[in-house]
Amino acid sequence: MKPAPFEKYKTENFFDEMFGNSLGEPLLHYQKIFDRISRLTPVEIAEKRSHADSSFLEHGITFTVYGDEEGTEKIFPFDLIPRIIPRAEWEIVEQGLTQRILALNLFLNDIYHDGKILSDGVIPKEIVYSSPNYKKEMVGIDVPKDIYVHVCGSDLIRDETGAYYVLEDNARCPSGVSYLLENRQIMKRTFPQTFQGMSVRSVELYPEILLSTLEYLSPRRSQKPVCVVLTPGIYNSAYFEHTFLARQMGIEIVEGRDLIAIDGYVYMRTTHGLVQVDVIYRRLDDDYLDPLFFNKDSTLGVAGLMDAYLKGNVALANGIGTGVADDKVTYAYVPEMIQYYLGQDPILPNVPTYLCWRESDRNHVLENLENLVVKPANESGGYGLLVGTDSTKKEREEYKERIKSNPRDFIAQPIVSLSRHPTIFEDTIEGRHVDLRPFILYGKDIDIVPGGLTRVALRKDSLVVNSSQGGGSKDTWVLEN
Amino acid sequence: MLSRVADNLYWMNRYVERAESLARMVEVNQDNLLELDDNIEVDRFWLSSIHAFHAHEYIDHEKEKSAECFFLFSDSWPSSIRNCIFSARENARMVRDQLSEEIWVELNSIYHFFRSKDAEVSFDQTPQQFFQKVIRFSLVFQGLSDATVNHDEGWLFMSLGKYLERADQTSRALDALTLKEKKPSRKDLIAALRICSALSAFRRQYRGELSLRNVAEFLLFSQDFPRSMRFAIRRIDSNLHELSGVPSGNFSNEAERLAGSALATVNFTNIDAVLTRGLHLSLDELQLSLMDVGQKIFETYVMSPLELQNVNDDQSMQAQQ
Repeated sequence: MKPAPFEKYKTENFFDEMFGNSLGEPLLHYQKIFDRISRLTPVEIAEKRSHADSSFLEHGITFTVYGDEEGTEKIFPFDLIPRIIPRAEWEIVEQGLTQRILALNLFLNDIYHDGKILSDGVIPKEIVYSSPNYKKEMVGIDVPKDIYVHVCGSDLIRDETGAYYVLEDNARCPSGVSYLLENRQIMKRTFPQTFQGMSVRSVELYPEILLSTLEYLSPRRSQKPVCVVLTPGIYNSAYFEHTFLARQMGIEIVEGRDLIAIDGYVYMRTTHGLVQVDVIYRRLDDDYLDPLFFNKDSTLGVAGLMDAYLKGNVALANGIGTGVADDKVTYAYVPEMIQYYLGQDPILPNVPTYLCWRESDRNHVLENLENLVVKPANESGGYGLLVGTDSTKKEREEYKERIKSNPRDFIAQPIVSLSRHPTIFEDTIEGRHVDLRPFILYGKDIDIVPGGLTRVALRKDSLVVNSSQGGGSKDTWVLEN
Repeated sequence: MLSRVADNLYWMNRYVERAESLARMVEVNQDNLLELDDNIEVDRFWLSSIHAFHAHEYIDHEKEKSAECFFLFSDSWPSSIRNCIFSARENARMVRDQLSEEIWVELNSIYHFFRSKDAEVSFDQTPQQFFQKVIRFSLVFQGLSDATVNHDEGWLFMSLGKYLERADQTSRALDALTLKEKKPSRKDLIAALRICSALSAFRRQYRGELSLRNVAEFLLFSQDFPRSMRFAIRRIDSNLHELSGVPSGNFSNEAERLAGSALATVNFTNIDAVLTRGLHLSLDELQLSLMDVGQKIFETYVMSPLELQNVNDDQSMQAQQ
């Protein structure tokens, strides 16, 4: 007889983070949490939930929804049952991610210099040069410490056997780390008793490490570097995160209009005149950064910023042109990169990927559309993807035309049955699909915040975990022992 | 600090102060009008108030439920209480890293109150509680500004916003007495004092000698009452000098020069001279000089010298044409 909240709980045919593949006992590392949750009454569950929700709204921990007329801020729904990763499992994930960020950076440095991996025929030239995020301005430019991707968020999923896979890399402006940090705060406040005797690894050092990652890039050695966070402004969906990080690091958050570039240097406008800026943690895509170089109509950027960057007078994190590394077509070649640059086997495998620009793959995709997920190569946030099993015939036909007319822009993957996690639904507990976005910082050392942001698809049976598409999140615990 | 941040902090505080003053103005007048049984008279009163705030062009007679609702909830008038709260929070959102968590939570919760239907329902059903909520919010906000953030440069800009707005609101409350067709009644005088939270402070000083002369003297010249013009201008002047580090009595920019001159006016004139010249005229001049101070603060600290150069060039170009 299972305790009340789990009475009707089913794992069905999925890997369950708490129960694994069995139906009976929770996995060892979940035992204590299982016991504690089992003692809760439906009323207590509902109370804790509404307490957590109101904390988020009161503290303004929100994201902005695009396309909504008022630019409404919504809370990112939070689920109170933490996801737990045992130490040994986390160490493997950590090694896999370390390997991956090293390879991605070596790849970027290579393609913007000699292009050896291309001339050796490991990755087709056309793939790289046809990416809209390949920035030819960067060819031959040396970036500080040869690091391009300083902050990376790679999305991990687990299949029905519980094996980890990398689903995609985010090497431009990955977001979500503020929710990870706030989730821990709210969790400690609403459910303190769950932490007892668990030895959960702390996550709070992230802002400090991010700041030293930024300072490491400063072109001026003579004094304490002036670092800033550059935001597109309050209407950006991740604005909360931008201010959160600036505040935690104790540095200024600036908009494009606060900066001015003069003769190859960047300054911010202050009440006491102009102050030179050394490092910009920019949360603005390449294309908006400098109207003189990229999108001419962008009012979010700073005219002359690129000139200062190319002259090495200001550092940017992440660097320019990193988008070519998280292009979903390039993604398919990351295992080859790891082999090529590091001489190692990849520790974390990719999800098998069909590249529509290859004729044989394309034919396979067109014939099996109803069993695949098709993704645009350069979108993020879950926009524009087609989940074969959930699509209508008409949608599939339209998608086929789009693939045929632009094969480079699409990839397809088999539908992985993501692992599930017990999640509070109304006053009971049901299984919901989850993924994991760890955050990797690459400065003097490589540092990965323990755990990451666990995103959960709150709609029953949904596989889409993005906040813009009805996803929520969970606190994620890595255990010390 | 960033120029834009200084500007956001200044405006955040102006809007909070404005919301509070407006709440008290509507509360006091609504209270007074209860005893009037003449609807035409009531309507006339509110219409003249709307004119006094230069807000008549925003009024949409078909949409507004009542004049009070216009002051409180108008979408179109930028200074309605709701819009003040929205603007204050918008400014705060842009400088969240500068604020304490406590300040943000207060501002955020009043914002959600005004965003939802709760605010209008509360005003309908328990107006007293509604006004108390807005006023209390502002007072808690001020208390937290004093107690939970560094009293550094940013704080000085917050303080400047607060006192410039306060001086403006006090002068309006007083000016409303001069705009009446008849000599202000006892009730009008009490209303002006209550709008400035000044009734008990006034009574203690004047022992109930209620006259236009005394009320005007108190609201203009009181040394110690924190909503008098003199008190507010003294704070503005000292904030500006703290900001630049230039000793009081000297000036290093136009904002300091104008604030110093306004302070000299309230320091070295008296109520008889003001009444001889005309109360309305004197108030008008003070209001204008404070507006200039606000503008010069903006030009000195917010606009960069480069932009200022351009503006001046444009103006001189136009002058030549």
